[in-house]
Amino acid sequence: MFPKPIEKSSAGVRTAYKAMLPVALLIWLMPLLAIMVFSVKPGADFTTGNYWGIPSSFNLFENYGKVFFESDMPRYLLNSLLITVPTVIGCMILSAMTGFALGIYRFRSNLWIFFMFVAGNFVPFQILMVPVRDLTLDMGLYNTIAGLVLFHVAFQTGFCTLFMRNFIRALPFPLIEAARVEGVAEWRIFLYVVLPLMKPALAAMAVLIFTFIWNDFFWAIVLTQGVETQPVTAGITSFNAQYRAAYHLMSAGSIVAALPPVLMFFLMQKHFIAGLTLGAVK
Amino acid sequence: MKPKKKKNTKTLKGRYSMRSILKATVASLGLLSLATTGALADAHGEKLTGTLKISSDMSNPAPRAVMEGMVERFGEMHPDLDIELTVTDREAWKTQIRNVLSANPPDVANWYAANRMRPYVDAGLFMDISDVWEDESMEALASTKGAMTLDGKQWGVPYTYYQWGVYYRKDIYEELGLEEPKTFEEMKANCQKILDAGKKCYTIGTKFLWTAGGWFDYLNMRTNGYQFHADLMAGKHDWDSPEVRQTFANWRELLDMGAFIDNHTSYSWQESLPFLVSGDAAAILKGNFAVAPLREAGLDDDKLDFYQFPAIDEDIELAEDAPTDTFHIPAGAENPEAAKAFLRFVVSADNQTLINNGDNLGQLPVNANSSVDDDKFLKEGFEMLSSNSPGGVAQFFDRDAPAEMAKVGMEGLQEFMVKPDNLDKILARLDKAAKRIYDK
Repeated sequence: MFPKPIEKSSAGVRTAYKAMLPVALLIWLMPLLAIMVFSVKPGADFTTGNYWGIPSSFNLFENYGKVFFESDMPRYLLNSLLITVPTVIGCMILSAMTGFALGIYRFRSNLWIFFMFVAGNFVPFQILMVPVRDLTLDMGLYNTIAGLVLFHVAFQTGFCTLFMRNFIRALPFPLIEAARVEGVAEWRIFLYVVLPLMKPALAAMAVLIFTFIWNDFFWAIVLTQGVETQPVTAGITSFNAQYRAAYHLMSAGSIVAALPPVLMFFLMQKHFIAGLTLGAVK
Repeated sequence: MKPKKKKNTKTLKGRYSMRSILKATVASLGLLSLATTGALADAHGEKLTGTLKISSDMSNPAPRAVMEGMVERFGEMHPDLDIELTVTDREAWKTQIRNVLSANPPDVANWYAANRMRPYVDAGLFMDISDVWEDESMEALASTKGAMTLDGKQWGVPYTYYQWGVYYRKDIYEELGLEEPKTFEEMKANCQKILDAGKKCYTIGTKFLWTAGGWFDYLNMRTNGYQFHADLMAGKHDWDSPEVRQTFANWRELLDMGAFIDNHTSYSWQESLPFLVSGDAAAILKGNFAVAPLREAGLDDDKLDFYQFPAIDEDIELAEDAPTDTFHIPAGAENPEAAKAFLRFVVSADNQTLINNGDNLGQLPVNANSSVDDDKFLKEGFEMLSSNSPGGVAQFFDRDAPAEMAKVGMEGLQEFMVKPDNLDKILARLDKAAKRIYDK
């Protein structure tokens, strides 16, 4: 079931492992490396067929300069931020409350409501494309950042509730009982007892949701159009001219677009790992 | 005046009462201006008022700047006119146009020429603007008049187009002692020499199908003429006919020679360019947009040249593929006077020179009195389309045929290029699809 620690293998296997690891890593990273190399190549390299070779000239500053100063990329990045941050905050607020309600209170159909949240996660979101598009159009939210945020909050809350409810369930119940004995109001219990304990889980969830929403492409192209509202994932294609794909600029743009979630992960790594391992809270 | 930019095409619902007032005002003003300035028929002399709503699909950066520039200049000429510009994503516009034209029509809208406007003409959504074309100045637009004409009337004006043709490696031709071919026989003889030298005659990337459509367009127009080709695209001829079979037979001669690069189904058109750059292939049949990347890749004017696709049957007038982008006035336009003035402004020689120059669209002006940038390929293309395309101007396979038919058709063409023996099956399939799509 569990992989045998590599130290216990024979010397031959260990050597082979060490030799294969870099190879596997290289193959694994190949697409990413290709994009990185492409992002510093001049556009002509694509036309001359120089896909994998050394760049014919080193255009790091030119390409990234174009991305930042001669395209709508900064606007797209801002849109992404305006979509992602409110979504993350909205999801955290809603799911902390639903998680608290479903995790602490025992009432009839508690489990059914919980199942409904979970079941939402099993709906393949592509089949919602047409109804959601029509809904946003009718509500006047089509092609607005607010529309995209509302939809994301609604759809992500299901997953977040599952996450939060299970986390709160794992908290020692006597903590809450003790607070009740002290006569603390329920909303104060939520605010001053449960919420501080949920911090690692909230942080972990924030990182996850941030990544999900930032990387969302599907809803971005379904619900928004154009530079005023589209996030960066959908905006990368704007480097394409009418007839021609500018692969070098798209590569540079992709790298820029991928940086925030990566940064988010490294900055929040402590919380992220804490969130995953904090099964037992003291 | 600063043009208003609006993205959302579904607004202004509660303004109908306001509009009808406006409409009446505009109508009376129109009459008034007609009465007072009747003698002053100059386009610049008209006094235009009210609102001019323009829906444009020129969403890519350069075209968008062109569109906004035109609105600004037109607005300066008519200070009393309020211009509302809505720019929609070019691809999205293709699905939105019907909705917009019928539900909330603007005064001016972008679209494409020839059969692509057929559905909207037939549905009565485009305004007949033959009166605009009656003006003497419109004679300079003769090369595209046919493409704007359906049922004997004109339904819009073009604003830009570009030529198709054979872009070839001049240095390779010189090295092998070849001349630009004028006939199909010469074309094949050239090709044989190129093949003997260990190169391929033509590079092509058919991964996304449409490139094969270019070859079919030319072979069919040269074999059977423009009218037959247009009728075939419009569903008026059977695919399984002696004429079409002759086109494929001509194509097959090239295929059997091995004229095209191997494995072309796995390349996009951009991925097919390296063969030309490296000299493994000597030519490509492509639109003028191929020039920019080829130049970037180091093919200067000494290495790259252009020739018109040669005649196959000398009795057939040469016709070219020149995809044309257009402006139309929706039938429900509320300010047609201003719209017509705008259309006249768009096609005027000066504006055509400006918007099609290298800093803007970098394509060909539709007005024969315009000047073209000092660019070898634009000049040759302008010359070719203005004077050596007597047969007419086609729009390209996937613009001339309905979208659904174009897809099935181009799949068939790609299959034919790989497995020419399947021709019978392919033609039968196309006819079956045509029956369904054209609702015969």
